[in-house]
Amino acid sequence: MIRTVLADDEVLARQKLRQLLTENEDVEIVGECASAREILELVELTTPDLLFLDIRMSDSDGFEIIDALSANANSKRPQVIFVTADDKFAARAFDIHAVDYLLKPFTMERLQAALRRARERLASGIAGANGQSVMREPHRYTTRMVFKSRGRILFLPVSDIRWIEAEENYVRICTATESHLLRETIGRVESRLDPQIFLRVHRSAIVNLHYVREVINEADGDATVMLMSGEKIRMSRSYRSRIRKLISA
Amino acid sequence: MGRSSKNEPVFMQPAIFITTSVLVGLLFALQEWMSLRHMGYHVHPVIFFECWGFQFLVWGAICWLLWRFFGSQIQRANIQTILTVFLPLSVVISLAQQMLWVLIFPNLPLNHPETSYWRRLSIYIYAELLNNMLIFWCAFLLFRGIGYYQRYREHEDAKSALEVQLANAQLAAMRMQLNPHFLFNAMNSISSLMRSDVEAADDMLEQLSCLLRMSLERGEAQLIALREEIEFTEMYLAMQGRRYAGRVEQTMRVDAELYDALVPSMLLQPIVENAYVHGLSKTEAPGMLVLEGRRNGPQMRLTVTNSGIGLNPRTDRDTDRRGVGLRNIQKRLELHYGGDSHFDITQIDARHVQVTIVLPLHYPANETRPIARFGTQ
Repeated sequence: MIRTVLADDEVLARQKLRQLLTENEDVEIVGECASAREILELVELTTPDLLFLDIRMSDSDGFEIIDALSANANSKRPQVIFVTADDKFAARAFDIHAVDYLLKPFTMERLQAALRRARERLASGIAGANGQSVMREPHRYTTRMVFKSRGRILFLPVSDIRWIEAEENYVRICTATESHLLRETIGRVESRLDPQIFLRVHRSAIVNLHYVREVINEADGDATVMLMSGEKIRMSRSYRSRIRKLISA
Repeated sequence: MGRSSKNEPVFMQPAIFITTSVLVGLLFALQEWMSLRHMGYHVHPVIFFECWGFQFLVWGAICWLLWRFFGSQIQRANIQTILTVFLPLSVVISLAQQMLWVLIFPNLPLNHPETSYWRRLSIYIYAELLNNMLIFWCAFLLFRGIGYYQRYREHEDAKSALEVQLANAQLAAMRMQLNPHFLFNAMNSISSLMRSDVEAADDMLEQLSCLLRMSLERGEAQLIALREEIEFTEMYLAMQGRRYAGRVEQTMRVDAELYDALVPSMLLQPIVENAYVHGLSKTEAPGMLVLEGRRNGPQMRLTVTNSGIGLNPRTDRDTDRRGVGLRNIQKRLELHYGGDSHFDITQIDARHVQVTIVLPLHYPANETRPIARFGTQ
């Protein structure tokens, strides 16, 4: 069971979370609270796995609460999903390892996605949010990205990315259902991604090997990468031998 | 030369100017007559009024002619022109005036009967030349002062006109943030969905919030990157897609090199909204909406093509309302680009209408910073 605490100073906001969460049988709401003091007491008392936290509450902000929770060495830090109307704090929330950042009003689908990530983290034993942002380790590869797209904040696990295409000064990041345009160079993105999973197949394309179905040789000597979803991505000759090796491995 | 009478001060009307000059002369006459009387000389006053009045009549006329024909040169003259043109001119005019004056009054100076013209002239030049030149230079300074004042006023007027224009532009921009009509229609759709399909209502509410967030984030920026405008339009289309239950096929093709190009904010959404309100919503048949952006040399060309009922001013009762939204865009384009932009709406066949916008291609001066962050946890 995922023992969960809901923290929001608005009754209706807590009610919405409570109602939507009842559909998840593995979620048990162990407490609700409306102020910073209550949160600290409740977390110490119930040692929850997951905390839904509004950043702006009447008596303090969510980050102060995370700091206070981190300072308390006795209790295990819960995973945190921020739920807020404010989009300004997304990068900060990302840096302190929050699971997700839900912008109000959010949909059921969005909440389920956040919950899915919380489950994965709890299963893999990754530590919960802490007050200090961890120094970036240059040798490890990116596991998730944060960006804004069409008025939404996305904490996107890179494993959700199927392929990436360069478009002039931008890259288009494609997932199963959506595509997002980011102002990034494909080289910079490539250098952040694990080359065992993400392969540059063309000057302007990177594919996630988990979603590659086959590589088709074209008559002219070039090749096309066929994804499981049916998309075809052109491939340069120079990359062909590498992908064969990686797929067969 | 060729001074426009519109900006001319009232006292530079010839009648008023010369009359004023003569009155000043008469005051001098009165003063001289009284001071001589005081010293015990008794001279008939008419002689004073005649000669002083005549002198200032001539000076009034000379000065007015100077104003009329050399006014703008006087106002623009630099020190070199003043020394090489106006200083000699002041001497020549003063001499000429004095020669005329001596000619008109043969009995002056008093008590010098039988004196020759040249002798009398030399007496008066000796006594009056500096005074005459002083009158000339007073007029010169007056005309220059008028010039400064006029330029100052023109500058002030231009400044306040510009301020008014700016305020209007801001007002227009604020009105264009998010069409209230659209906002309330969307809320009504949500209200309707709440009774039939709670999930759909929830989704639509979230999409509407995204639109509002994007709109608020732009603030009062007049020009934004085309990419942002497209993102906004995409979200709007996603919402419309739900309302039209997949009946409309939406296509968007924009050259990647235009993503950073600057366009007036809220340029595309009202056009796309128009395509739905006046075209796609008017028929039950499957429809299409295509938004294209192409680079065309130093310009970008944006087109929105939609199927529907075409343009028919006689049967389209909403023509006026359609007009307002599109005219507003046209007005804003003119405000931003003057004659360098182009906007039109045409019927390409019986069922398809196309809006075309051509804008000069501008990119922001400073590089947009990357928006993504990477994490390793």
